Parts: sequence; C-alpha cells; structure tokens
Amino acid sequence: MDRRNFLKTMSIAVSVVAVSPTFSKKAHANPDKFQQALMKITGGKTPTPSDKVQLKAPEIAENGAVVPIKVLVNLPVEQVKAIHVFAKDNPNPYVFSIYFTPQNGRAFISTRIKLAKTTVVHALAELNDGSFLEASQKVKVTIGGCG
Amino acid sequence: MNLSRRDFLELAAVLGLTATGGDALAKLAKLKPEEIFQFKPVGTVTLLHICDLHAHLKPLYFREPSTLLSHPSLVGEPGFLCGEAYLEYYGIKKGSIRQYFDTAVDFVELAHKYGKMGGVAHMATLVKQIISERGRDKVLFLDSGDTWQGTAVALFTNAKAVVDVQNALGIDVMVGHWEFTYGKDRVMELIDNHLKAEFISQNVLDSMWEERVFKPYTIKEVGGAKIGIIGNSYPYTPIANPKEFIEGWTFGVRMDTLQELVDELKNDKKVDLVVLLSHDGFSLDIALAKKVKGIDILFSGHTHDPAPKPIFVGNTMIVIAGSHGKYVGRLDLEVKGKKITKYNYKLIPVASNFIKPDPQMETLINNHYKPYEKKLNQVIGKTQTLLYKRDTFYSTFDRVISEAIKEETDAEIVFTPGYRWGTTILPEEEITVDNIYEMTAITYPDVYRFEMKGSQLKMILEDIADNVFNENPLYQQGGDMSRLLGMEYEIKITAPMGKRLRNIYVNGKPFDPNRYYVLAAWGGNLHRAGRNAKKFRPVYDIVIDYVKRKKVVAPPLKSNVKVIDINCGCPKKGGICP
Repeated sequence: MDRRNFLKTMSIAVSVVAVSPTFSKKAHANPDKFQQALMKITGGKTPTPSDKVQLKAPEIAENGAVVPIKVLVNLPVEQVKAIHVFAKDNPNPYVFSIYFTPQNGRAFISTRIKLAKTTVVHALAELNDGSFLEASQKVKVTIGGCG
Repeated sequence: MNLSRRDFLELAAVLGLTATGGDALAKLAKLKPEEIFQFKPVGTVTLLHICDLHAHLKPLYFREPSTLLSHPSLVGEPGFLCGEAYLEYYGIKKGSIRQYFDTAVDFVELAHKYGKMGGVAHMATLVKQIISERGRDKVLFLDSGDTWQGTAVALFTNAKAVVDVQNALGIDVMVGHWEFTYGKDRVMELIDNHLKAEFISQNVLDSMWEERVFKPYTIKEVGGAKIGIIGNSYPYTPIANPKEFIEGWTFGVRMDTLQELVDELKNDKKVDLVVLLSHDGFSLDIALAKKVKGIDILFSGHTHDPAPKPIFVGNTMIVIAGSHGKYVGRLDLEVKGKKITKYNYKLIPVASNFIKPDPQMETLINNHYKPYEKKLNQVIGKTQTLLYKRDTFYSTFDRVISEAIKEETDAEIVFTPGYRWGTTILPEEEITVDNIYEMTAITYPDVYRFEMKGSQLKMILEDIADNVFNENPLYQQGGDMSRLLGMEYEIKITAPMGKRLRNIYVNGKPFDPNRYYVLAAWGGNLHRAGRNAKKFRPVYDIVIDYVKRKKVVAPPLKSNVKVIDINCGCPKKGGICP
C-alpha cells in the first residue's frame, strides 16, 4: 500500500468509526474536513440559522446513493448569490454550489445527493451582501430491518 | 357460545352484575351478548376504524407485549405502554376482558376464560349492528392498512381473499404498507378491479417526476358533515421491505405536502373536518401532529398499539385500534360549525366467544379457506410453552423459527425479523401448518446463509437499534429489534447511535469484530450486505418440517438480550419500573 492509498483508507476508517449523535461542534465525525470545507466557502463567516432557507430532505433516506433534496431561499433572487450544500459526515463533506442570476426567477434547487451514512445536511444561502444564512437537517441512512 | 358456570360468573363480573349463584345465571340467561359492547351514541357521525388486521379472517389468540422498550423519554406513554404500566395508565380492572385483550398480564389464564379474539365474521356482526342502529349514511369505515398480508389464505390468493372480505365488511377508505409486498402491479390490479374501498395516499410518488400514484384524499358526506380524509401509507416501505416490489415509487412522511392538503381541504374544499388516515406508527403520528396544523382526527396504524382512549396533540385527536382484528374503534361525533362539539370513543374488543358470527361473512371466509383447508389444518406438533410473537428483543415463536433455520443452514447466528404481526399458541396446544404461516406468510420468504465480518454485523445491529430506540420518533421505523439466535448482548438504550451494544458473545465466545461469521436470515435485505450468500428454502417450509421432526417444542422464556438502563419490560414514564 502506497502512502496515498494508506491515507485514503485512513480517512474512510475515521469517518466510519466516529459517529456523532449530537450537533455539538466538539463531537464532529471529521471536524477538520467539514470545517475546512465550510471555511473555503464562507471565508470564516458564521452562517446564521434562518427560516428564509427551506431545506427539504427525507428524515430517513430510501437509498443513500440518491437522496432527493430541495433548497429554497425565500428572498428576492437578486439578493441571493449562491446555495451551497454540505453533508457533514460524508468522506468529502462539500457537495455542491449553485450560483444564481436574476434570470433564474427564484433561488431554488431540486436535486439528488449521495450520502455515505447518517449525517446532518447543511444548506447555506450566500447573499449578495456577503452574509450567510443556513438551514440543516439530519438525514438517516439505514439498511432497514423491521416491518 | 358454550359457557360453563364459571364462565358465566366471569362474564357476570365483566358486566358488573352481582355474581351470586342462581341470580347471576338468571340475569345472564336474559342477557344478549351484544350488551358487552354497549356504547352511548353521540351526534350524527360514526367513524369506524381498524388497523393492522394482517389478514386474520378467523379468530386467534394474540398476546400483547411484555416488553415494549424505547428511549426513556418516550416510554410509559401511549405508543410505548404495556403490562402493569398500561393497566395503571388506563385504569383497567384486574382480570377484565380489557386486560386480556390489551396486555400480556395473566394472558394464559385469561385466554382459557375468554377464548379467542377477533375474526372478521364476528367483527361483521358488530359492524352490522352499529350500521342498523345509526343508518348507513351516518357511518364511515376506515382501514389504516396492513390488511392484506399475514396469513396463508392471504398469501395463497395474492390478497384476493382479504379484499373480498373488506368489501363485504364495508371498508370505505384505506391506506397501505404490507399491501405493497404483493408488488405494484398486483396492488393496482386489486385496487382497480376488486377493492370497493378507495385507496388513498398523499405520500406515494413516482420517483422520477414526483407525481402522486394514488388520490391524496377523498371527501365523504357522513351524517350531514363533509369530511376530508387524507391518506398516509407507511413512509418507510422501501426501507423496511424489498425495494423491487415498488420499483420507481418513492414514499416518506411528507409533512410539507400534507400541510398543503390540510389547508386545501379547509380553505378551498370547505370541509367540516379534516381526517388523516395513516400507517405512520403511533409515536410518529404524535410527533407529526405537533408539526402539521389543522388535522381534526388522526387514525393511526402500523405500531399495533391498543389505545382505549384518544390522545390530544393541540386540537388533533389521535386514535389507534390495535391489531389482528382484535378491535374495532368506534368514534361518534357531533359536528357543529366545523368543530367537534361532542364525541365518544370506544376501542371495542372483538370478543369472539360472546358474539354470534355473521353467517354471510362466515360463509365467504370458509369458501376462501376451503381449497387450502386440508393443508392448513394439519397438526404438525405441540408446544409446551406459550408461543408468542411480540416483545422488543425476544419472543418464543421467533426462537422456534430461528432454531429451525439454524438446523437447516448450520449458521452460527440466525436473524429473524422484529415484525409485530404473528400469532399466539397456548401451552400444551397443537401447532398447525396455518399457525406457521401466521408467523411467516410473506411474499419474499427465502432464507439466506451468508458470511459477514463482525465489525459490519455490529454496525448493522447498531443501525437497527437506532431505528427502534431513537429518541426522536421521526427517525424510528416502528418495529422491534431483530431476533438473534447464537448471539447474546447487553444494550444501553440511551447510549448514542453506534454505542448501544456491548458485552457481545457469539455461542459463548467473546465477539470478534475482525472475524467473519456465518449468518442466516430471512425477511430482510441483510444477505445483500454479506458475502457468499446462498439461498435456502422458504422459511415456512423449513419451520413446518422442523416442528414435524421435533413433535414437541419448548423454547425457553429467557431473553438473550440484557437491557442495562431500564430494569423492566413495561416501564412507566421516564423509564421507572412499576
């Protein structure tokens, strides 16, 4: 095993072993990766939780490989620069960014994302004034087992 | 009805008569059995409700759980209430027929006194009586689903027997869960060509375009009131049951669209009442009613809870009517100015021994059984201990099934699913082929043997435990833990996800996360996560042959799971033991 493969294996192992049940910042599964990914987008600004951002995702995913999510920013589209989505406990927590122009009509995206396991999904709205709003929801990824 | 003198005295006690020798007998001689089911009618609307019949067309014994655990913040309240804690919560008299139907306390003794429960011919007598009393235009009959699956006659007729019985019983509206395990084509065929009831669901969508597969709601005039009924089928069908049956459909709780439909019915359709007919599960529905505003009555299902009194979340009344045809829920309403001004609710026990079966329904049921009677009535053995299904971790009938699979497959660990449907057989009674199907009649019955690494097995068990014990009901699936033979463990229910199981032993040896174990399982997706999977015979064939070989079974009553943080099976609020 070369060093690169070794590191790859390690990072997966870490993300599988440490499962966090709480939303506290201390108990992150891979705090560095998530915080680093967040930092790249926000430049260190703290997103404000807001009901202006509506995140729709299933409580329990039917299939972790294709989890339907919808994000709507309930503000005039002129005020919204982008929507950024993160899956906190994914091996790569940064999922996507989508940028808006007024021609979009409204700041809305409906898509499917891949989740490696149970995780909190974060949807950030980046506004044109440089601030960030946020909505988050836990999505459970399970193999099932009862009827 | 063949009652001994002792039964007469017991019945006298149930009915609150003075049990003084000849006097009581004289009173009882004049008494119509229907009087047990006395009900004070209210208003002009009667809503009847059944849930989770599981295709039990004939009377059966069914023992409620003696262990029903979840997170301590949820136990001891409706949804996670059993045994002595249940009797205390609802103020139920010791030795009463209510105790017999609703709990496992003194079950065998009371079973000998009161006899079998349910049976649709017996239920039909009650329903006909209510309809003749109220008038058909004042009665609406709702069915929360899990109706088509659970017995041999349902499986052999691809649910047709049950649909015919639903039609004869007069079911008006239904939703589903196990119905979907007949496959979407069969479901549509039965709904389109045979089922008289309307099948509604707001939460079943085509996964590509998210268009609804069924009508989301229906509006019915009942006793002069305009009632809008929205349907929620089981939100986690694609997770709990094989996906291939419903390929291309997506489910989920879908509270946002539910709220939109509630508003639409109230504001645009101007209904008097909004009803949610659901198969979400009792505790999930209690959580849902806190978030979705404007539902007047929520008829729940899935978790099989008998709840003799409605519970209220804000202005939403929630009821659930047990399982296996043991009960009919009757809700009478007076509706004035789009409000419920009076109500009366009763969870009526279908006490088969005290009700004359409806002859037409009995004939219909017997006709459906006739082609299979010889096979199903065959006695294959006997049990020395009480065989039952329910409980959170362990049950005796599941132990018999697991032993049978272990002998067949030679696996180290056997998984049996934590379904809540099944049957009960009293000690010293015979076991028939029909009984085995009552525990195993599913459309994907194959047993698989496969290998799985210890660490992965542990992760899967933790995952299942989180589905059962999560403190947020929205993340629960409303079932019990998979039953394990060959593995013992301790569990801390309040521990975080992934850290609940400890001190695991496999066949007496400490569990090794790095070793591969040979497992056998049925009724789930587990084998897909393992390697070298090998398919065996259907579970019912394996168990029938096992019981034939053994002639007498006597599974131990002791569970293989030790709970660390709750010291009894039926705790009161906060996890305190009675």
